[in-house]
Amino acid sequence: MVDITDTLDCTGEVCPYPDVKTKRKVKKMNSGEVLEVLVDYPLSAERIPETMESLGHKVVSVDKTGTSAWKILIQIK
Amino acid sequence: MLTEEFWYVLIAGLIIGGIFGFILQRGRFCMNSAFRDIILLKEYKLAKAVLVSLAVLMVGFAIFAFGEVIDLAPKAFLPWAAIVGGLVFGIGMVFAAGCASGTTYRVGEGMVGSLVAGIGLTFGAAMTAGGFLSGAKTYLQDSDTLVGDASPSGNPTIMLIVGIVGLALMFYFWGWPAIKKRRDANEPLIKTDNLVEKTFKKAYPWWVTGILIGIILTAGYIASNDVVGITGGWMNIRGWLLSYENPGASVMWTGFIIFGIILGSFVSAYLAGEFKLRVPKEGLTLLKQLFGGILMGFGAVTALGCNITNILGGVPQLSIHSIVTGVFIVLGCWIAAYLLFMWRKD
Repeated sequence: MVDITDTLDCTGEVCPYPDVKTKRKVKKMNSGEVLEVLVDYPLSAERIPETMESLGHKVVSVDKTGTSAWKILIQIK
Repeated sequence: MLTEEFWYVLIAGLIIGGIFGFILQRGRFCMNSAFRDIILLKEYKLAKAVLVSLAVLMVGFAIFAFGEVIDLAPKAFLPWAAIVGGLVFGIGMVFAAGCASGTTYRVGEGMVGSLVAGIGLTFGAAMTAGGFLSGAKTYLQDSDTLVGDASPSGNPTIMLIVGIVGLALMFYFWGWPAIKKRRDANEPLIKTDNLVEKTFKKAYPWWVTGILIGIILTAGYIASNDVVGITGGWMNIRGWLLSYENPGASVMWTGFIIFGIILGSFVSAYLAGEFKLRVPKEGLTLLKQLFGGILMGFGAVTALGCNITNILGGVPQLSIHSIVTGVFIVLGCWIAAYLLFMWRKD
């Protein structure tokens, strides 16, 4: 189990706010810290992990936690 | 009265709209995301899907035009209408968080914000078609100061060539490397496992989405001998709601397409466990989406069509009007996305 440093709740947010907020948030975090992102928008749930990986961060897990609800864990590079 | 034609457009509209909506939801196919994310996230998958669908549509339209199944009807070039309408539409879709088709399919996912944007689109379009914005529209459409007579003629031979060359280039640059990678990794070319799950529960790869969109919109053209449009459909439904004395008479093809898209997208989202009523937390977001919808409505009516009519209907017919409109939709989208999401550095 990883220790979650911070949580970003993007539920109810429309495209592209979850993506942009996640990008801005990880910039402010330190190496090794873990960000938990909560989204309920399918496209963001698919794309946030992709963009985070392309930025070099580690996507620890993507869990579908319910109907159209996902929890993404990202470890900052 | 409910005529035979009514039942034809009802059934054909719901079937074609339904399949279209299903594909839109599975493929998350939205031109706002496609264009915006080129600059915002450096993410090109949806943009590639748009290009694939364009090439398929060129080939599809050309084949059926050769067979005299459909009549090509590229729009006459109205430069200022294309430039201003396209720009306003492009800016609007960023605020609305979805293009005309993206907004419509998201209604089926249960996104209240998109329904608000759809209502904005309808009223923006109605105000421009016959309300207080109609003067601006007429002014823009009538001032052809850039070119003289530019009545186009859809040429199926050129469309076929451009479409096939486009498909070949995309296969060479995007498809072939992926196939080679799969071969080097010793994986089968086509994986047939979990086909049901892949069809109904998983997001489609961009190229599958592009091909399917191309096919279903070709089918839409064949069914109605016209390009599929979104904005006209919303206005069609509005007209139907307003003409309560004689319902049924005025909801036609375009309106049923909208119902079909919402229904198809709902089924798709529901099967995949992605349907949920979602309201943006901040009321301001809803206002932004309404405003964006109104801008899109103005842009679509001024430019003689939304992103589907122009980009996926006119561009495959190589209509200069639609190409110019498309370019300015992309520019408008980039300007708004830059100012909204990239201006602030933090």
